[in-house]
Amino acid sequence: MSETDTLALLREFLKKHSGQASESVTPESPLSSVNIDSLMLLELIFEFEEKFGISVPNEFPTPDTVGELVSAVDALRARKTEESN
Amino acid sequence: MMDRYSQLGTAASLAAWRDAGLTVDAAADQRDGGVSWGTSLGGTQTFEDGYRNLYLQRPPARISPLGVIMGMNNACASHIAMQLGLAGPCHTFSVACSSSTVAIGEGFRRVRSGECGVVVAGGSDATLSYGVLRAWQAMRVLADGNEETAARACRPFHRQRQGLVLGEGGGAFILEDWDRAMARGARIYAELGGFGATCDHSHLVRPNLDGQVRAMQIALADADLAPAQVGYVNAHGTATREGDPIEIAAIREVFGDHAEALPVSATKSMHGHMLGATGVIESIATVLSLYRQSIPPTAHLDEVDPACAGVRHIVGGPLRDVTLEAALCNSFAFGGSNAVLAFRRHRQL
Repeated sequence: MSETDTLALLREFLKKHSGQASESVTPESPLSSVNIDSLMLLELIFEFEEKFGISVPNEFPTPDTVGELVSAVDALRARKTEESN
Repeated sequence: MMDRYSQLGTAASLAAWRDAGLTVDAAADQRDGGVSWGTSLGGTQTFEDGYRNLYLQRPPARISPLGVIMGMNNACASHIAMQLGLAGPCHTFSVACSSSTVAIGEGFRRVRSGECGVVVAGGSDATLSYGVLRAWQAMRVLADGNEETAARACRPFHRQRQGLVLGEGGGAFILEDWDRAMARGARIYAELGGFGATCDHSHLVRPNLDGQVRAMQIALADADLAPAQVGYVNAHGTATREGDPIEIAAIREVFGDHAEALPVSATKSMHGHMLGATGVIESIATVLSLYRQSIPPTAHLDEVDPACAGVRHIVGGPLRDVTLEAALCNSFAFGGSNAVLAFRRHRQL
């Protein structure tokens, strides 16, 4: 469920910011192929932090694909859920 | 990803580039193409938004991760270079109300020296944010107005002038090497002949006659123009009590016997004071007066202050069908930085 939410938010963000069609954004997509550069990644991290109430650490590894980004964010969300339980 | 000042400046630059008959190509990698930009405030609206979020919201809201690159003073110049593929010098000048005049002058020097074949030169400022307006209001230099009088609130050289009216905008010139422009059959609006820059070095806001006189004289000499060849001065004319009479006195000193017949107007009466963008907008008015042989008026000037007399104020409407060979555009900034551009008419063959 959470994976879907993260990917859905990412797709919604890309559609709004760069007009990227949602179906073209798959877990296998390299970030460069969906126009996520270093600045866009900063904005995305900001969006994830705001929407999911997580804190992305500075040493967050730079992902290569959409799937890696979603997994890393989901791991942070899972950790937050554990901490609050 | 752009502050409003960058949007205004980039839009103006793209319009100017297309008007010059050039192709917009971000991949052009034009090594001898530069940007010379002016802004007084830079991305002040971005900073204002960030500070509002940080200081006023409880708990403090976050600042955008793009705040730094949206707010920085050279953001607009970089956006212009990226959009047009210009790979040469890309510089920003922040000289208060002379910013874009200085930017045009410095860009002009890069073309004249041969360093650049083409330079996008101009400026932009987004002045109408709450904090900026309140700061100017606190200086007591803004004109009063109500719904009835607001449209004619800015009245340079008027006996009852009350001060300036802030405006915002952007403007750009395409400064191109003469031979290159001629070779491609470019439409040439005017020739930029000279640039004069001086500092009053006496007071942050009180204008100084000598500094203004020297700036005009340097611009004339740089353009190899005698005072009598100049047929129009676009004045800085902000409509402050202190500034206007000093500028007229400076013009009278530079032009001597010629001053009485010399057309002078302050177009701020119509577009307001756009701070870093005001010099380029007034330079465009000056260039178009040469191109169209028609001089714009100082609007709302139905009673000239005797302290501002001694030149030919253009009032009521444009002075049409003139024979105008050369014109000056004055910008005199807080901080005492004076900048003057001298333009010559170009007769299209």
